[in-house]
Amino acid sequence: MSEKKFELHVPSVLGCEKVAMDFAASVAKAMDFPAERVEDLRTAVAEACTNAMEHGNKLEPATKVGVTLTVVDGRLQVDVEDEGRGVGTVKAPDIDSKIDGQGDTRGWGIFLIKNLMDEVRFESTPEGKNVVKMIIHLER
Amino acid sequence: MAKAQEITVRQAGDVSVIDIKGDVSSTTGQPIEDAYHKVTAAGTKKILFVFAADCYINSGGIAILIGILSESKKKDQKIRMTGLTSHFQKIFAMVGLTKYAQILATEDAALTDF
Repeated sequence: MSEKKFELHVPSVLGCEKVAMDFAASVAKAMDFPAERVEDLRTAVAEACTNAMEHGNKLEPATKVGVTLTVVDGRLQVDVEDEGRGVGTVKAPDIDSKIDGQGDTRGWGIFLIKNLMDEVRFESTPEGKNVVKMIIHLER
Repeated sequence: MAKAQEITVRQAGDVSVIDIKGDVSSTTGQPIEDAYHKVTAAGTKKILFVFAADCYINSGGIAILIGILSESKKKDQKIRMTGLTSHFQKIFAMVGLTKYAQILATEDAALTDF
C-alpha cells in the first residue's frame, strides 16, 4: 500500500486541539479502525496537541501546532510538532498522592498518550522543535 | 472552540445531582467546581455527577475532577458518576479515578443504595 500523508496546523489556543482530534479521527474511520480505537486516538491526539500548545508553544497564539498523519500498511502515525518555545516535564502521575493533596492535580496527558497508543516516541528536531510520534495499529 | 457548557444542580432525595453538558477541561472547569462548592456549602454528603454522552473530557478536566475528589475525601463526602461513555469509563479507570468515585451505568443505578 502506498503511503498517504495528511497535514493540519492549528493555532496554540486551547480548544483548537479538538479540530486536530476530529481530523485524525476522520482518517482513522476511513481506514476502518474500530470505534473504540478511534476514541483512543482522539484522546491521544488532543492530549499531544494540548501539551504542544501549553508547554512547547507557551500558549502564544501566533504559534502553531503541526499535525501530520501518515497512513501505511494498516497503521496510522500521528506526528504532533510544536515550535520549541519550551519543554514540559515528564513525571509519572500518581492518583493517590494527588488525592492526598501532594502536588498538582494535572499532568495526565503523556500518561494517557502512552497508555492509549501502540507506540510513542518523543523527539527533538535540529531546530529545537519537539515532536511526539504516535503510532496506532489497525490490529492491536 | 469549546462546546457551550451547561452545569445544573438538582436534588434527588439526599443526593445532590450535578448535570454536566459540554467540555470538561482546564478552561471550563470553574463552573463544575462552583457547582460542587455550592452543594457542599448546603451540607450535602452525597454527590452524583451526570455527564452528557457527548462530553469532551481531557486531562485538564480530569485534573479538575481529581481536585474535587480530593476535597470530597477531606469532607467525608461520597461521589458517584454516571453518563460516561465506555471510552471515558476506561480512561477514568486507567487514571485511577474509580478508586475514589464509583461509576455506574445509569442514573437510576447510581441513585440506588447511595
